[in-house]
Amino acid sequence: MLTFIIRRLLIVVPMLFVISFLVYLGLELTPGDAVSHMIDPEVASRISAEQLSEMREALGLNKSFLERYYIWIVNVLQGDFGHSLAGGVPISDIVFDRLPATLELSFIAIVFSTIFGCLLGVFSALKKGSLTDNSLSVVGMLGISIPEFFFGLVALLIFALNLQWLPIGGRLLPGYETIWDRLPHMVLPGFVLALMMTAGVMRYSRSAMLDSLSRDFIKTARAKGLPEWRINFIHGFRVALTPVIVLIGFRLPTLIGGSVIIEQVFQWPGIGNEFIAAVRGQDYPLVMMIALFSVFAVLMASLIIDVLTALVDPRVRLD
Amino acid sequence: MNKFIGVALAAAVQMTSSLAYADVNQLSDVRVRQAIAYAIDMDTIVETLFEGKAIAADSMIPNGAWKAPGLNKYTYNPDKARELLKAANWDSSQTLDVVFYYGDQLTADLMVAMQAYLGDVGVKMTYRKLEGDVGGQLNAKPDAGSDTSAIKWDIAYGAKAALALQEYYNGYQMGTSSYTPGNKELDGLIERINGTVDVAKQKTAFADFEKYENENLSDIPLYYQQLFVYESKRMSRNGGQYGNDQFNYDWNIVNWTVEPDAKGKKVLYTNTAPSQFFEHPWLNPGVFIASKAGFDHLLTADGSLVPTGGQLAKSFSVSDDGMSLTFELKDGLKWHDGEALTAADVAWSIETALKVPAINAVFAKTFDSIEGATAFKDGSASSVSGIKIDGNNISLSFAKLDPNMLLTFSQFPPLPKHLLGDVNPLEFQQHSFWQKPIGSGPFKIEEVQMNDFVRYTPFADYHGGVAKVDELVSFPSGQGDANVLKNAAAGRLDFGFTKSVGDVKALEAMENMKVVAADIPYTRSLRINKFANNAK
Repeated sequence: MLTFIIRRLLIVVPMLFVISFLVYLGLELTPGDAVSHMIDPEVASRISAEQLSEMREALGLNKSFLERYYIWIVNVLQGDFGHSLAGGVPISDIVFDRLPATLELSFIAIVFSTIFGCLLGVFSALKKGSLTDNSLSVVGMLGISIPEFFFGLVALLIFALNLQWLPIGGRLLPGYETIWDRLPHMVLPGFVLALMMTAGVMRYSRSAMLDSLSRDFIKTARAKGLPEWRINFIHGFRVALTPVIVLIGFRLPTLIGGSVIIEQVFQWPGIGNEFIAAVRGQDYPLVMMIALFSVFAVLMASLIIDVLTALVDPRVRLD
Repeated sequence: MNKFIGVALAAAVQMTSSLAYADVNQLSDVRVRQAIAYAIDMDTIVETLFEGKAIAADSMIPNGAWKAPGLNKYTYNPDKARELLKAANWDSSQTLDVVFYYGDQLTADLMVAMQAYLGDVGVKMTYRKLEGDVGGQLNAKPDAGSDTSAIKWDIAYGAKAALALQEYYNGYQMGTSSYTPGNKELDGLIERINGTVDVAKQKTAFADFEKYENENLSDIPLYYQQLFVYESKRMSRNGGQYGNDQFNYDWNIVNWTVEPDAKGKKVLYTNTAPSQFFEHPWLNPGVFIASKAGFDHLLTADGSLVPTGGQLAKSFSVSDDGMSLTFELKDGLKWHDGEALTAADVAWSIETALKVPAINAVFAKTFDSIEGATAFKDGSASSVSGIKIDGNNISLSFAKLDPNMLLTFSQFPPLPKHLLGDVNPLEFQQHSFWQKPIGSGPFKIEEVQMNDFVRYTPFADYHGGVAKVDELVSFPSGQGDANVLKNAAAGRLDFGFTKSVGDVKALEAMENMKVVAADIPYTRSLRINKFANNAK
């Protein structure tokens, strides 16, 4: 397994190079540049071409595409992630400032959706065809179908505006020092994100569990006289878990940049909002770092999934 | 055979005629521009699309004391439009390319309405949103003396938000506009509105300009956008005036009060907090709360931005010929970090602003007019010869008259030299100072949580007295943003401003909020490409 992990880690390096180049190329092909986004069109009308060129020069935008990519990649390899073109803030400061906010939400959503999604999916499979199963199926379909923003707005309307149980949004307020001060702010966005994900995990777990329960080894287990809970949870659920792990594993990286809508609805100062602003403003050093971070997370998640699958399912051999 | 030759000749003639139309810009004919003005029913558009929250325009200059009497309002008259188009021999086979740069639904709806109105009189148009280098596409100027435009569009829908009324017309100067070729008559009119500080003479010059433009339509004015100031019913300005909140005026914020919260704290909530950095106040001096409440100016102004007296300045005087201006600073002025605010800060700020590319147009014109500004900008002088400091006094000598110099100093905030002295003007906005700026205004920044909130506390050493509230907290929402409405409904927004019709309707419907409309110089218009030949 160690050889497998090392080999996979080594593959990550050239993949990051290729993907970084493609993202850089994509930004290059987008019309305009950071300066044209920084300066309002009305203001630009009275700035001379020389001044605009000087600004581009100062920000290093006058160099050729390949030259700029080379400088960027060399700097990154030396641990210098650069500065935001718009505000001059070190990229590492922006990422490490915003990432905890996003990870907070992601952690809540992943834990909540994994536990409840698996439990409800297994329960639904065990009660196949019952009123409970049908009701959970309907709820699951609704959860998958309703857009996040709509669900978020409804939750805000009910719990923040009408009942006034929870804050309208934001992550912090002046004077917040402990996790308990911040907890009420996490509830609504975390709950909405988790619920949307729970529906998917529940549907997936149900299908996997039904598939697992129809296998021959379940009959064998019953023939051995094992208790029903042991058959379902130790034999059946263990096998059913493999596809569920894949689903959850691939959601980990998407949660880093994928909770953009939730962040916007709940005014949550996460990395998703920052990424959108950076793409719109063609702030390429920032876009590159957030994109690379997401890509790295995808590749790592893929590795973790393979390892976990092998641990859960003895038939899978990594070597 | 003869029939074949006849058809071929007819086709050739038609092709030649089309090619000729492709090169010649019929919009350079004033009759076509007037026809477009007559063809659009702005009164109906204002009542329907804008739900009455705008005012149909008959000039770039807003309604009020500076509006010339007797202007042609180009009241909707499709028959007159058709008549003018016929007289101009309008080629109805061509399609006008209309561009815009706003991403809102209202703009898209306006384009649809315009398309229908113009179609009704036989003018076809398509519309598209400019993407990428919008400034470059809007402002590309032709080579000197050329009568072929460098822009690729026929009509651009946009806004002109003027701090000084001259801004509406100065851009028409020969060789400076992307869509108006200009002429000596226009240059003469521009010279007249800029050439005097005498208000009566200025009004006459503006009236003449308005009449010229009303006839010639470099821009077709569509509507005046209003500004809507909103505030919660838990706060009071205590007699403080309302005004053009996009800029700075004497809004008396130190005397504002707010009902205490459950913990007994008097906290005012507002918006426009930064997401990554504080925007410097030399471009948009009053849009962001950090600029408005955090920085003071040499002079102050009333709600309509007419300079009224000193703020940081104890006194000021203008020479009779308007060519020199002297300020005397108040004693004991301090920055929020406790350092003294001196005349050297003011002089350094003006010199630095001369080299920062993106600053407010009115500031730029004032500073460019100071003696020695050109030599300082081109590097041949190490300081601006027209700026002299003597203790608390700063005197400015002008090489050319600037009618808006007092307006500039009511909006331009000096910045602390001791913290920004090392700045590269080309990377002014990128300086670390803008992560937590130190200002001179009634509120100082206490805590910054980027993209979450900014907390301000009253500045104890403020020269104008200490503010009555305990704290000011701003969140990063802005006009046209759904979070404005959510925060207002949740009691987390006490004051702000918007130009969004959608915001206004929703805020008016909230019991805890009140909305006050303010007329501001903000005109939406159609810029018409009038070069004789187009570049398409």
